[in-house]
This record gives sequence, structure tokens and C-alpha cells, in this order.
Amino acid sequence: MISPDLSTGVALALYSGAVITGIFGMLARRLFWSRCGCILAFSAFAFQTLTLALGFHKALPGGLTAGAYFQLMAWFVVLCALIALVKLRQPSTLIFAATLGLMLFVMSTPYLTAVVRLPETLSTAFYALHIGTLFLSLALMALAFAAGGLFLFLENRIKSKRSVKGFWQDMPALSLLDRINAFTVIAGYPLYTLGILSGLVWARPVYGVSMTGDPKEIVSIVIWLLFSILFHNRLTRGWRGRKPAQVAVGIFLLCLFSIFVVNTFMNTHHAFIRN
Amino acid sequence: MDCDIVLVGLNHRSAGVDVRERFALTEHCDPEHWAVPCTGPIRESVILSTCNRVELLAAGKGDVAGQMQRDWAQARHATPAELAPYVYVYKNREAIRHLFSVASSLDSMVIGEPQILGQLKTAYRKAVSSHSTGAILNRLLHKAFSVAKRVRTETSVASSAVSISYAAVELAKRIFGDMHAHNAMLVGAGEMAELAAKHLLQAGISEILVANRTFSRGQDLARQFSGRVIPFEKMTAYLTEVDIIITSTAAQESLIRARDIRTVLKIRKNRPMFFIDIAVPRNIDPDVNGLDNVYLYDIDDLREVVEENQAIRRDEALKANDIVNEEVEHFTAWLTSLDVQPTIVDLIHRSEEIGHKELEKTLKRLGHVDEATHEALEALVGAMVKKLNHDPIMFLKNDGMAQEGNTQRISLVRRIFNLDATGSHLKEL
Repeated sequence: MISPDLSTGVALALYSGAVITGIFGMLARRLFWSRCGCILAFSAFAFQTLTLALGFHKALPGGLTAGAYFQLMAWFVVLCALIALVKLRQPSTLIFAATLGLMLFVMSTPYLTAVVRLPETLSTAFYALHIGTLFLSLALMALAFAAGGLFLFLENRIKSKRSVKGFWQDMPALSLLDRINAFTVIAGYPLYTLGILSGLVWARPVYGVSMTGDPKEIVSIVIWLLFSILFHNRLTRGWRGRKPAQVAVGIFLLCLFSIFVVNTFMNTHHAFIRN
Repeated sequence: MDCDIVLVGLNHRSAGVDVRERFALTEHCDPEHWAVPCTGPIRESVILSTCNRVELLAAGKGDVAGQMQRDWAQARHATPAELAPYVYVYKNREAIRHLFSVASSLDSMVIGEPQILGQLKTAYRKAVSSHSTGAILNRLLHKAFSVAKRVRTETSVASSAVSISYAAVELAKRIFGDMHAHNAMLVGAGEMAELAAKHLLQAGISEILVANRTFSRGQDLARQFSGRVIPFEKMTAYLTEVDIIITSTAAQESLIRARDIRTVLKIRKNRPMFFIDIAVPRNIDPDVNGLDNVYLYDIDDLREVVEENQAIRRDEALKANDIVNEEVEHFTAWLTSLDVQPTIVDLIHRSEEIGHKELEKTLKRLGHVDEATHEALEALVGAMVKKLNHDPIMFLKNDGMAQEGNTQRISLVRRIFNLDATGSHLKEL
């Protein structure tokens, strides 16, 4: 079985390579280097898939640690970007996803041995449903955030008649970024809802009530409400462009707050405990 | 150098359009005049004749430039004196640099325009079919094409639009991406709007609707763009259907107002709209740009985009010049290396001849030798000749790459190895 430190190091190196070559290719507008970035990002993803298949988490103290969660999230982000790449033929999507993946990997390193305290009564099915759906939706939200942020920047430049040159010239068109937002919201909202519902259902046998007033629960419900507004308006009221991009950026920032502030510094039963 | 590369020409900077027309070598010439006759000092030649330039490129020895001007003037029924005031002449390194700059569109009226490379390729094809090119011009022209490709790949000299109509289409692509799923409406019929419509069609737009006050003129335009004509009065109703709207009417008041577009957007479920207002006075209320998913560019906005792009191209042209200079050095080095080839051939012949004679003498002295010994002696002599030649050949080749002193090096090798020896000298050996 591959050691977690070694696998993290290899994946970090591959993601770093992907980000450096990919971003250089995009900045210098060299297709060759952009392609190299995509190949390295795919290699990092394939390597991570292999380590996950080999049972990477089993080698960690206490099973799935907070660091492992971040790495799993990086894997989901790149998976979603690969799907988007196949669907939209935009290599920049994978480069951006690799950048997010790299950030998540870097953040994962201090938490590789930080165990998430889980009630004994919870089975592996809980993991699959609660954690799996939430992480997949988080990965989609990360993509929505990247697409939304880029949309807001480019739209602002076009609206204010400022030039969109050089590096920005090769970015996807506004319509495409909006389509990425639509795809991630439509796919991510049901997953997030399922993740929250499964959490509420499983909280009852463990804590006696569905809602315990835990800070993580409150922030998650706020995120879900914002997500509901975005999902509803996108589908029924024809929200397009700037508004959904702004909301998607806000939702993901709130998710980051939930993960890095609530889980780390607040008194919650989702807290990371360092061994 | 055994052969000079000479370029004689006139272009938009050295001659007015009337002069360029008078001395053009495409429209009025017979196919056999696609190349300057390869007679006298001219060994190879190519003619490039476009609306902005007429250039004759040749390789030869002697008064190549004079001969080219005489042939050119004669082909246009003029005297060389009439042609001379407008003509520039470049030789060798400068001719190569000029050709590379022309191919890379750095010498064009609009820097970075793509047509010139195609025109140069056509000129070369015609010269090849006239059998007027040889080893030097073939290599030079192929190199010019690869330099042009390198310039386009490594710089942004041709990447941004420098015409108002094309800038509008580039912006549309930034908003909509793939144009195949989108359509456009032409309101009014100005020259610039028509050009924009043409560019949109080239970009793959699915359909063009035309709304013009004079219905018959609208019909003509719609036919021209394989589009559909709609009544001018119902133009606002069609806004729910179209994504790109180009206005260029002489109306004194706004034809499209922000409040109209709010309703239109609701019906369109906020699908983005791009308004290109080329009219003066403007046809579209500027407040339209403040609406979500609506983008409005007027003529001044587009002009600013174009000016910015032109400045970018000028900056990129400086980078491109560095590439051109680098490639000129490479090509000149190759050209200069051609000078050492005869000396290398002479050196090999001479040493093989000496080796052969010495082998014959040795075999005579030895009397009868078996076949294996004979072969071994031949191999020995062959290997020695080869190894002894290696250093002087490398000396010639390496120094051949340098510009200065090439003739001196050749002369030195020829003297050391007595390569210019007469037959009697050889017999003495």
C-alpha cells in the first residue's frame, strides 16, 4: 500500500507541474504548454484515482482524515473539470481545476493526520451518501466559483469597454462560462440537498434530534438556502449571466468559510481533531 | 558568395497607386511574365505583384538589379528611367530581411494582415510552374513561409482586429463563443454595417435579418447575405429572436430604447444581446448597456478598440523583427556555407587521388598480393584519407558559418592542400 505522505507528494508534484505549465501556456498563449498542463493534470487525477483505488485512506490514522477529505475534494473538482472539458472543449477549465486541486492538496498536508470525529454508530453508507454527495456538490460549486469569477471579470471589462487582450483573450466566451454555471448548479444542487438531508436523517439516531444547532449545520442550511434561490431562479425565472455568477461566487466563499473556519475554530461535532 | 540575392520593388510607401497600377505585373502580363526571364546575370527569379507592392526577387551574379529593372520596365512598355524614382533595391542580407518582413506582414499597410502570405505563396507557385526558381530561391521562399508562420505563432502581430467591422465581430465572439447558434439583424444599410454582416457570416452566424426603411433595398441586402427581410416598422418585435443587432440608419432619434429592451429580455429569458451601433447620431439609447446581459458598442467604442489593437500590433511587430533578424542570420549562414562546398569537393577528390596513386605504387612494389591484403590496404588508405580530411572539412564548415574571413579560410585551405594545382603539378606527385 502506498504511503499517504508519498502519494500526497507525488500528486502535489504532478498538480504543481500542471499548474505551472498550464498557466504559463495560457499566459504566454502557447498551445503546447497548455496541452502539457492538461496532460499533467490528467496524470495527477489518474494517479490520485489509483491511490484511492488502492485504499489510500486505510493507511491514514483513524481512516479518513481532514486532509484526506480535501484530497478527495480535489479529485472531485478535477473529475468535474474533465467532464466539462469533454462537454465544452475548453482546456482552460482543466487548468483552473488543477489550480483548485493544487490549493486543496496544499491545504490537505497539515491535516493529513487530523481525524474527523465520527459517531461510532455511523456506517460506511453514511460516508458514501453524506460525505460523497456533499463533496461532489462542493467540487461543482468550486467550478461554478471559477466560472463565475471569470465571468464577472470578463463581463465587467466588456461592459466598461476595456480591452480583453493577451491572456484574457483566450478565456472562454461569456456564454460558455454561463453554461458552466448552469451545468454546475443544476447538477450540484440536488447533490447538496441529498447530502444535507442524509445528514439530518442520520443526526436523529445519533443525537436524538435532526437539528442540534451546531454552527456547521446553520452555515450549511444558509448555503442550501442560497443554493435553492440560485437553482430556482436559474430554472424558472431565467437567471443568466451576472446574477447567478455573483451568487455562485458567494456560495463557494461561504463553503470555504464553513470548511476552514467553522470546522477548525468553532465548537462543532464536524470539527477536525489533530492527532 | 558565388551568387547574389537581389530584390527590386516598389510599394505603397515608395509609389502612389497610379504608379503601382502602371508597373503592376499581374493583371496585364502574359503568363510567361510571371517571372523575370532567367537570362544574362539572372539565374532564378520570382515576381510578387499585389495592389500594394510589386517586387522582383532574383538570384544571380553581376548586374542583377539593373537587368531586373530593364526587364520590368520593358514588360510594362516603359523605360528604366521612368521606373527608377519609385524603386528600392536590396541586396543579399537586406533582400532576405525584406522578404521575410513582407511574408510576415510586417511591411504591409495594415501590419499583420493575413493576405500577403497567400499572395507570396501564389507568386512562388507561379514562378515554380515557370521553372524560374532554383536551389537558392526555393530554399529562400520556403524559409520565408516558415518565418511568417513563426511570427504568427510566437507574437500577437495578427491576433486582434484592426477594422471597425471586424472588431465588432471579435467582440461578438467574446460574448457568444460559437456563432453557429446565433443570428443577427441589420437595421439600415451602411457600408460598415454591411462589412460587419459579411464578417459575421464568415464567422458562421446562422441567419441575418435585414430591416431597412426602403424595403426593396432591404430585399437586395437580404439576398446578398442569403438572409430574410423584415418590415422596418416591426423591427422591435423581432428583437426577441435575434442576438446581434447592427444599426446604421440616418434616424435622428433613438430607434431602440432601454425600456423596450427590458420587455424584450423578459421574453428572451435573459438570453444575451449584443448591439453594435455604427450610426451617427446613435440609433440606440446608451442606457441599454446598463441592462444585465445586454452589451452595447457604438462607433467610438469600436474605434477605441481598433486603435488599441493597432498599438498592440505595432508593439508585437518589434518582437517579430527580432525573429526576422534571427532567421536572416540563419539563412545567410546557410548561403555563405554554400561557398565552401566546391573546396570541400576538391579536397576530397584531391586526397582520394593521392591515396589511390600511393596505393598503386605500393601494390607495384609488393608484387603479387592476395585479395584479402589488397582489400585491407584499400581500407587503410580510405580510412586515412577520410580521417585526414575530417579536420580541414570541419574547419571549412565551421568557419563557413561565420561571415567574416570566409574567403580567406577557403583560400588558406586551397593553398595548404594545393587544390588549385595544375595537371603538371599533379603529375609531379
